[in-house]
Amino acid sequence: MLMQLTLGGLSQGMIYALIALSLTVVYRSTTVVNFGHGDFVMAGAFLSYVLVVLAGVAFLPAAALAMIAMFVLGVMFNRGLIRPILGGPHIGLALMCIAAGYVLRGLARMVWGREVLPMPPVFDMDPIFVGELVITGDAVFIIGTVLVLLLLFFGLMAMTDLGKMVQAVYQSPRGARLIGLNVDRFNDFSWGIGAALGALGGILVAPVSLLHPDLGASFLIKGFAAMTLGGFGSLGGAVLGGVLLGLAEQYAGAYIDSALIEITAYVVIVAVLFIRPQGLFGRKAVVKV
Amino acid sequence: MSQTMPTATQRRLRTYAFWAVPVLLLLLPLATNPYTQFIANGMLISVLVTLGFTLTIGNLGQLAFANTAFFGIGAYASAILAAKLGVPWLLTIPLAGAFGALGGFLASAAALRGIRTYYLAIITLAFGELMRWAYLHAKPVTGGTDGMPMPREALFGISLGDDSLKFYIFLGVTVLLVKATLNLMRSRFGRAVMAVRENEIATASLAIPTARVILVTFMWSGFVVGCAGALFARHVGHVFPESFGMLHLIASFAMVLVGGLGSVLGAVLGAVLLTALPEYLRAFPGMEELFFGLIVAGVLVAMPMGLASLLRRLSPVFVERFYREAP
Repeated sequence: MLMQLTLGGLSQGMIYALIALSLTVVYRSTTVVNFGHGDFVMAGAFLSYVLVVLAGVAFLPAAALAMIAMFVLGVMFNRGLIRPILGGPHIGLALMCIAAGYVLRGLARMVWGREVLPMPPVFDMDPIFVGELVITGDAVFIIGTVLVLLLLFFGLMAMTDLGKMVQAVYQSPRGARLIGLNVDRFNDFSWGIGAALGALGGILVAPVSLLHPDLGASFLIKGFAAMTLGGFGSLGGAVLGGVLLGLAEQYAGAYIDSALIEITAYVVIVAVLFIRPQGLFGRKAVVKV
Repeated sequence: MSQTMPTATQRRLRTYAFWAVPVLLLLLPLATNPYTQFIANGMLISVLVTLGFTLTIGNLGQLAFANTAFFGIGAYASAILAAKLGVPWLLTIPLAGAFGALGGFLASAAALRGIRTYYLAIITLAFGELMRWAYLHAKPVTGGTDGMPMPREALFGISLGDDSLKFYIFLGVTVLLVKATLNLMRSRFGRAVMAVRENEIATASLAIPTARVILVTFMWSGFVVGCAGALFARHVGHVFPESFGMLHLIASFAMVLVGGLGSVLGAVLGAVLLTALPEYLRAFPGMEELFFGLIVAGVLVAMPMGLASLLRRLSPVFVERFYREAP
C-alpha cells in the first residue's frame, strides 16, 4: 500500500516538478511569474493530441514537434508582449501572462467545444508486478522521461557556462549586460525552454488523463505550490517541492480523505507562506517594514 | 506628466454630474424591454465587482485573484441566509458584504507576515480555488453542484422577480457604495493606500502601519464585492458554483484595465462597456475567453492606464485626485 502510493506520488510529483521547474526558469530570467503557464501546459497536451489522433503522427515525434512549437510560442510571447512592458509594474506583466493563457484556452475551446477528450494509451505494456506493487507502463515512462530530462538540465547547468549565465542574469540583469551577456536573447531562450518544458508536462499527463481546455488551472496551482514549498527561484527546490507535493497528495488522499487530493496544493501554499515564506531553499521572501 | 487640477467651477460641475447620472437612470426602466433591463441590472453588479477589484490591484497595487471568491462568498451568504434562515433578501445585502469582508481579511492576512506581490497573488489565487472547492464539497450548506435557489419574495406587494424593482434596489446599493468608496479614497486612509502602492518603505517611515492598510483595503474590497454577490444571487435567482470560475476572473481583469487601474470612473466605464458585449459571444464556445484575453493584452500594450487616462486628457473635470498616471 505505502509503496504503491509512493510510486503514484512520484509519478505525479515528477509532473509537478517539471512544471515548477519551467516556471522557475522563466522567473529567474525575467522575474516574471507566468500566471498563464497552466495554459501552456494545456496547449502542449492539445498539440500532441492533434498530432497523434488527428494527424496520425507517432507519439514520440508528435511530442517533439509539440515541444518545438511551444518553444517558438514562448520566444514569440516574450519578444512581442513581455519585453515591451518589462520595465513596468509587475501587475501589468502578470496580467499579460494571464491574458495569454486565456487566449490559448479560448482557442482550445473554440476548436474542441465543451468536450472532454480521451487520449489513446501510448505505452500499452503489461504492468509489472513486484510483490504487491503494480508498476504501470505510464508510471515508468513519466518517471523515466523526467529523470533523464532533469539529469540533462542540471548537467548542462553544472558543466557549461549556462549555469553561470543563469546565475548572473538572476542576480543582476544589468550587471550581466555589462559583462557582455546578450540578456535579451537569454530571456527569449528561457521563455522558450520554460514553455517547452511546461508543454512536456502536459504531453506526459495526456495519455493518463482526460483532456479539456481548463486542465491548466489546476497544474498552475500545483506548480506554484511546488515552487513555494521548494523556495521561489530555486531550481533544485522546485524539483524537490514538486516531488514532495506529489507524495503529500497521495498520502493525504489515502490516509485521511480522498477529497483532500484536490486541495493539498492550496494547503501547502498557505501553510508554507505563513510558517516559512522562503520555502526550503528560497531567498528571503518577506518585506520588513 | 504635469496635470491640471479642476477649478472650483469644474469641481461643482463634477458633483452635479455625479448625482445627475443616477437620477437620469431612474427613468431607464421606462425605456427597456425585459432583456435589456436584465442586462442593465447585470451592469450595475459588474460596476461593484470592478470597483472592488480596482481598489486592490489599482489603488493598492497588490495583485489579487481573490475577487471572484469574495463575489461567490457574498452570493452564497445571501442565498444561504435567505433560503435556509429566512432572512429577508434586502437584509442579506449588508450581511453578505460582511462575509465578503471576512473573506478579504482571510485572503490578505498573510500580509501581516510580510507577504507581498507575487506571493500575495498566489495565496489569494489559492484562497479563491479553495472557496470554489468548498462550494462543491460542502453539499449540506451550499447544495454542491445543484447550487442554491433563491426563495420567492415580495417587496411592497411587488415580486422581487421583477427586473425593474431590482434595478432600483441595485442602483441604490451601487450609488451608495461608489460614493462611500470615493469618500474613503479621498480620506487620510485613501492617501495611505496609494502611498503604499508608490513606496511601502517610505510610507512605513511616516508611521503608517502598511500591513494594516493592505488588510483594511482588502476587507473593504471584499465588502463591496460581497454586496455585489448578494445582488447577483437575486439577479439570476439561483447560485451555481460555476458562476464564480475563471471566466469571471478574466472578465473582471478586462473591466478594470479597460477603465483604468485605480480609477473609480474607469471602473464604472469598463463594467458598463464590457458587460453587454460578451452577451453576443456566449453562443460560441471559447470566444469569450479569447475576447477578454485579447482585450487585456491589447490595453496593456496600447493604453496601459485605460479609458480614464483618455478622459482626463479631454477635460480636467474627469481628473480624479487619487488616480495617478504611470510615469
